[in-house]
Amino acid sequence: MKKLKFSWSNAYLFLIFALLYTPIIYLIYYSFNQAGTMNEFTGFTTEHYGSLADDTRLIRIALDTFRVALLSSLIATIIGTLGAIGIFFVSQRKTQVALLGLNNVLLVSPDVIIGASFLLLFTMAGFRLGFYSVLFSHIAFSIPIVVLMVLPKLQEMNLNMITAAKDLGANNWQVLKSVIIPSITPGVLAGYFMAFTYSIDDFAVTFFVTGNGFATLSVEIYSRARQGISLEIYALSTILFILALGLVSGYYFVQKQQRNRKRKLTDIDSANHQKAVSP
Amino acid sequence: MKRLVQLTVIILGVTGLLYIGSLYVDRSEGTASSDTLNIFNWGDYIDPALLEQFEEETGYRVVYETFDSNEAMYTKVQQGGTAYDLAIPSEYMIDRMIQEELVLPLDHSKIEGLEHIDPAFLDLAFDPDNQYSIPYFWGTLGIIYNDKMINEDEIQSWSDLWNSEYNEDIMLIDGAREIIGIGLETKGYSLNSKNDEELADAFELLKGLAPNVKALVADEIKMYMIQEEAPIAVTFSGEAADMMWENASLHYILPEEGSNLWFDNMVIPKTAQNTEAAYAFINFMLKPEIAAQNADYIGYSTPNQDAMALLPEETISDVQFYPTDEMMENLEVYENLGYEYLGKYNDLFLEFKMLRRD
Repeated sequence: MKKLKFSWSNAYLFLIFALLYTPIIYLIYYSFNQAGTMNEFTGFTTEHYGSLADDTRLIRIALDTFRVALLSSLIATIIGTLGAIGIFFVSQRKTQVALLGLNNVLLVSPDVIIGASFLLLFTMAGFRLGFYSVLFSHIAFSIPIVVLMVLPKLQEMNLNMITAAKDLGANNWQVLKSVIIPSITPGVLAGYFMAFTYSIDDFAVTFFVTGNGFATLSVEIYSRARQGISLEIYALSTILFILALGLVSGYYFVQKQQRNRKRKLTDIDSANHQKAVSP
Repeated sequence: MKRLVQLTVIILGVTGLLYIGSLYVDRSEGTASSDTLNIFNWGDYIDPALLEQFEEETGYRVVYETFDSNEAMYTKVQQGGTAYDLAIPSEYMIDRMIQEELVLPLDHSKIEGLEHIDPAFLDLAFDPDNQYSIPYFWGTLGIIYNDKMINEDEIQSWSDLWNSEYNEDIMLIDGAREIIGIGLETKGYSLNSKNDEELADAFELLKGLAPNVKALVADEIKMYMIQEEAPIAVTFSGEAADMMWENASLHYILPEEGSNLWFDNMVIPKTAQNTEAAYAFINFMLKPEIAAQNADYIGYSTPNQDAMALLPEETISDVQFYPTDEMMENLEVYENLGYEYLGKYNDLFLEFKMLRRD
């Protein structure tokens, strides 16, 4: 490994990361504070983690939050992927642009407006606010994100492959299954993770459509914060942060493994290719 | 494709596990009875141990949800789609909800223990004969100061805030009726004044206060005062009790001229689905020993006079939180001003906020 030399670009990088991570480290540090407030650090304790374990309401809300996020991003990924394929294969350029435009409008419109309109919709339809109202609205605002993540992969795809597959007698389902989906899989996975993170940290939309005892972490933490944040919340945030850290490193290792495998595959491929072209 | 299907199955499996987990948490939380009571209350406004005790005694399962402002609570009840059986709004919001028929009239034959409540807190203008609401906590608006920076007895009244020594020292609560009220009160007018001259008078007086104001803030006052960012603040008694708990140098003063008297009362919103459980909860909270435990935990003043007897002597002898009858006479409850005058108060407050300090 090369030794890191001082350079202005490295210093800049360090500064930015320090700015981004200091507040989180500060929060983690104070989650172990004995004093129960942020005023000063008086001693080390894990009692906030203990009281977190006793706070069944908060645990329940954390479980619910993850349930909504996992499920809503899954459904949004399925709908969004199919939507992206649909938009990609629209033959008229104008319609395609219009469809994409409609998709992007949803992406840039403020969460508050989306949330308020969902509240209107649900109450007008006589729909009970709770788990399903949150789930449906999360699916709805995640779909445009997935579409946007999948489309570039479709554009990268070699269209000749589809023609070739059809020449060899594949029907539409086989083309989708064996040609299109495999080549856009990275985009689909990225879309899923984006939708998941959006769902986890969404506050504005969820705030409007929660009710009847159902809440997500962001809404609950907000309403508790008005009374002064208890260190229990810090303890929870610390656990979530470590969880996220674990997820990211897990994702990194999976990717690394894949890259290694792919490299091996391409080695073999190129050899075959050479054999095939040289008579 | 195969991998994506595998991932889908894994995600669905995890979702199922999470669902089972939350069911399990639910079960361990209370009794298995399907009879639930939905309570909609301010955050951190009840002793959680009492909710458990209530569940044990009555067999109802409590679903507890919190709001952060009267307006947020109002929206959720008014929009429908919710099933709150019991809510605890403040008096001016109760007035509005009665007018818009968002709360159900109470059946007094089902309520036991109303006699424990101090008659001074019953039959008030916002809810005559307590047809719709039962007192939960009450309090005042006053001044909190830090004895490290301000001498004791230096501040006794609203007019002391005008002292030129307190340049940029005072944090005010961000509320139109509260701040205009300080002007009216200092001048000796009613907090519910609908007299344009009196209002103009009060505003003229408030102009002089502007140089002393450090900031107009809301709930953050609590944090700032505990951290000693400012020596003086105008805030509600309940908030003050919290601050004094955290920082022993802080003291609360109920100004001599009088002040605002506010209430948070229990009501049954029209969204209620289980009124029986709501009545059971009201009766439970009216019990003196329960009210006393709650008041001890929250630090607000209880309207339950029999509960006061059970509280520690030093709590109830604190005249700043349990004022003498004489002081009580100077306290006024906000009345609904109607759109026109509410607008005028808001405009004056906006003007006050925009005053330039050179």
